[in-house]
Amino acid sequence: MILWRAGFRYLLRHPLQILFAVVGVALGVAVVVAIDLANSSADRAFRLSAEAVSGRASHQIIASSAGLPETVYQQLRLAGKWRASAPIVEGFAAVPGQPGLTLRILGIDPFAEGPFRTYSPGIGRGSDFSRLLSEPGAGLMTAATARKLGVKNGAELPLLIAGEERSVTFIGLLEPRDQVGSRALENLLLVDIATAQELLGKLGRLSRIDLILPEGDAGRRSLQQLQQFLPAGAEVITADRRGQSMAQMTRAFQLNLTALSLLALMVGMFLIYNTMTFSVLQRRPLLGALRTLGVTRGEIFRLVLVEAVLIGLLGTLLGLMLGILLANGLLALVTRTINDLYFVLNVRSLALTPLSLGKGVLLGLGATVAAAFVPALEAARTAPRSVLSRSTIEGRQRRLLPWAVGSGCGLMLISCAGLMIPSKSIPASFILMFMLITGYALVTPGTAVWLLRRLQPLLKRSFGMLGKMAARNLVAGLSRTGVATAALVIAVAATIGVGLMIGSFRVTVESWLHSYLQADIYVTTESDGFGPGRTPLKKELLERFQEIPGIERITRARHLKLESQDGISELFVAEIPPASFAGYWFAEGDRQQIYQAFSSAEAVIVSEPYAYRRNLQRGDLLTLRTDQGEKQFRIAGVFTDYGSDQGRITMRRQLYEKYWQEPQTDALGIYLSDSAASADLVQQLSRAAADIQQLVIYSNQDLREASLATFDRTFAVTSVLRLLAVLVAFVGILNALMAMQIERSRELAILRAGGLTPQQLWTLVTGETGLIGLLAGLLAVPLGIAQALVLILVINRRSFGWSMQIAIDPLILLQAVLLAFGAALLAGLYPAWRMARTQPALALREE
Amino acid sequence: MMNDTLVRIDNLSKSFREGDTERVIFRELRVIIRQGEFVVLLGRSGSGKSTLLNLLSGIDQPTSGAVIIGQQNLTGLSEHQRTLFRREHIGFIFQFYNLIPTLTVMENLLLPLELIGTAGAEAERQARDMLGEVELADRADSYPDRLSGGEQQRVAIARALIHRPQLLLADEPTGNLDAETGQQVLALLSRLARENRMTTLMVTHSLDVARLADRILTIRDGQLREDDVPKDRL
Ligand SMILES: Nc1ncnc2c1ncn2[C@@H]1O[C@H](COP(=O)(O)OP(=O)(O)OP(=O)(O)O)[C@@H](O)[C@H]1O
Ligand SMILES: [Mg+2]
Repeated sequence: MILWRAGFRYLLRHPLQILFAVVGVALGVAVVVAIDLANSSADRAFRLSAEAVSGRASHQIIASSAGLPETVYQQLRLAGKWRASAPIVEGFAAVPGQPGLTLRILGIDPFAEGPFRTYSPGIGRGSDFSRLLSEPGAGLMTAATARKLGVKNGAELPLLIAGEERSVTFIGLLEPRDQVGSRALENLLLVDIATAQELLGKLGRLSRIDLILPEGDAGRRSLQQLQQFLPAGAEVITADRRGQSMAQMTRAFQLNLTALSLLALMVGMFLIYNTMTFSVLQRRPLLGALRTLGVTRGEIFRLVLVEAVLIGLLGTLLGLMLGILLANGLLALVTRTINDLYFVLNVRSLALTPLSLGKGVLLGLGATVAAAFVPALEAARTAPRSVLSRSTIEGRQRRLLPWAVGSGCGLMLISCAGLMIPSKSIPASFILMFMLITGYALVTPGTAVWLLRRLQPLLKRSFGMLGKMAARNLVAGLSRTGVATAALVIAVAATIGVGLMIGSFRVTVESWLHSYLQADIYVTTESDGFGPGRTPLKKELLERFQEIPGIERITRARHLKLESQDGISELFVAEIPPASFAGYWFAEGDRQQIYQAFSSAEAVIVSEPYAYRRNLQRGDLLTLRTDQGEKQFRIAGVFTDYGSDQGRITMRRQLYEKYWQEPQTDALGIYLSDSAASADLVQQLSRAAADIQQLVIYSNQDLREASLATFDRTFAVTSVLRLLAVLVAFVGILNALMAMQIERSRELAILRAGGLTPQQLWTLVTGETGLIGLLAGLLAVPLGIAQALVLILVINRRSFGWSMQIAIDPLILLQAVLLAFGAALLAGLYPAWRMARTQPALALREE
Repeated sequence: MMNDTLVRIDNLSKSFREGDTERVIFRELRVIIRQGEFVVLLGRSGSGKSTLLNLLSGIDQPTSGAVIIGQQNLTGLSEHQRTLFRREHIGFIFQFYNLIPTLTVMENLLLPLELIGTAGAEAERQARDMLGEVELADRADSYPDRLSGGEQQRVAIARALIHRPQLLLADEPTGNLDAETGQQVLALLSRLARENRMTTLMVTHSLDVARLADRILTIRDGQLREDDVPKDRL
């Protein structure tokens, strides 16, 4: 196919341009694939472990996070109606010397297990399994897990549970039936129920009871009877419901990552658009000649599109490889965030699902074809023998300019209007944001021309004729300048938007922590902050602490998780002195009145995310399942809280004790008579606690710093994405401007022939690229800020219900402008060098 | 006699719109070109010579009137059909930018053959023969930018003739060359055209060239006139 050769050789003659386009697509695809792989691997790991643990149960009986009294199970058994039931005690342990690894401890009753889980062929038939019963402190693991931990059969395995040193004896193997099973049983320690209660400090309590209820009417009847039979504090939920509500917890977080990765792809798309547009503009004479010879429009259209697809294919393949590499890194970050914020998840390996990779291919190719569509049409419209001169093309572009500006403004208006409509749809918000970006891109060329015209006199004054020429060239070459500038603006704006969003969020959290954390010292148990509820503090501690001089007041707190059919909520039981309550932020309502209600009536306050997720408002009634059955509480106020994206309910301690039977405490707030002495007091407290319980003691400042560290960890992924967007932007600027200059080779050669020295050529070329870079950087600022506003005011609010302060850090803006300017200067170097080096005669002959 | 007619131009008018003003280039042209004729088109710069050639090849559309080549009325065809007609029946030579810079000389010749569906060894043979005719057999694998202007125009001639079009259109093919080279190229062009019994319409400014013609047409003030061929041709 000679026709195709004509096209491809052209591409081969401009390897740098193609390289950059390929890299642009590759980076875009890599980011999307990496995020998708990391997310889906986390999901998969979660699903597998949930399946392994819930087994074939159809329903589960649960209670508050303090657990279900053991007696419930005994009564259930005695009643004789629900044979297929198995008690479970579940918790987590760290292993000394194995940082980052969390073992899931699953306590079971080997006799009841039969119908639920089939871990090993030996189950229920004596062997290792029955030894769990006869040997207290014995546990089973898969061979793979044992190997990883380096324990031999019969050896002691040291564990760290809530900071306490414990151990189990490893007595035998769990034998998964297949590959999936072995993944699911990874990092699982199976013990007898009594052992688990002992290890986890849950004497007399169960985490839950698994049930298999028959299907159909019989099942429904059985369920009804069960509900009547159960004590008030317990509830039956369907087994899959539980997995769903846990998966839901991370959904907004994952969705946000996906959207950010799409932003990177969008920037990559503009790169392709830019490259293909340039290659078409440059080839206009060639395409015209082909048309004269009788090559049809369709053939030319296909030619350009196939070229783009090839670039896309190359970029996509490269992107997939890069994405897999990147995913390995991101997976750790995503998993860490999930562990920090949501629940324990061990994701050891990346699951390379064909779906994730397929999505990457589809997106990469789809984006390329979409981006190349307009340039291909433009190519097909080339008149034979290019009857149109360059100035007519530019003339047409100029006539199109008002249309572009008009439709861009229209798009932005629609997008703004759409964003104003109250809705909870996150995808819709992202689509509207992408519309805003596209609209801005359409307006950019017009704005750029307008600015350049204004700049001309100034440039002439400062840089003489060359300065003026640079600006004039850019205006005259609108068809190229416009596209390049728009591409740059989008790339740079993306980095500004995400940067400002993270910055604002951090500033908000910082000032919130400052106001919210009122006590001088915080004490809590050594738990990783996950699992169902924290380990309670021992009673003696409180007594001993109260004797320490210098302490003015100690408040007790309890963190609980309330699980129900419609999800998991966090209940924070606290004693809040009026002075501390002043540190709470309320969006509406009189703080005095709220405190009045909170401290004396049957009322609670809920955090913003909680109210948002459940469509609740101040004054609404909230139904909670207490140990005395369902009770309604008035919502006295909605407060700002960034501690949990699931949201939390805060309740006065006396109220809690009235309805719940478990009066434990897992955290203390300590107020000192002299705040300055807190470092000293921290020492005293830890000495006092040393022989009783392992504790974490933070001074106010330490806790603030630790919280911010968690925040930074949470946003590590986002920051990585931002960095990648910066990289794509950099490549984009390089690509667009280099293409623009290379395309002008002939024109520059004429200038050289006309007496421009190589020195002057350098000045002209880098002056032009620098000017565009600067312009793009400046034009990116408003869009970047707009994007940040959408992210803060719309997307974060819709994803998490958070309201945030807006902090516009000038440093981020300056960085972005410098990035654009620097990359643009750099982009001018190669063409300038190339042109200064080649003989004008040679350049004139080329094409 | 009718069978002899290759090109018929009927009441052909063309005007360009520029903003609000309409500029008429020519109105109601009528002319007939017979099979195998070598016709030269003269006229001042801007008189509309290139425009007429563009209309004949279907690159451009007339304001009114008809262009009939063989049995085919070009004005009745769609853009796509005109393109297909062009690749089959018309050969084109311009003043410059004739060759595809990304294709070698050989490939430039193969392209028109490929477009009409001739490929493989047979196409190669034809291309080599044609290159031999224009005495560039040894430059088959060069890219156009390595050739001199005269050599490039010789390749352009070869390419315009290789698929044996019915009509050869040449728009100042030697305008870019020095007088002597121009003469050589022109001699080659007219020899090949006559040998292949090709109908040719050539735009030129040079009266010398006009001596080679069978007929001379001149555009003036939007009208086409038949002039006598200068006598000293004989
Ligand atoms: N696309 C166009 N739009 C507007 N006017 C055009 C266009 N193409 C040609 N013209 C005008 O039509 C007239 C004839 O142009 P044409 O190129 O046919 O002249 P020509 O006889 O070939 O001249 P030359 O000898 O200089 O090549 C000119 O005045 C030209 O400005
Ligand atoms: Mg002309």
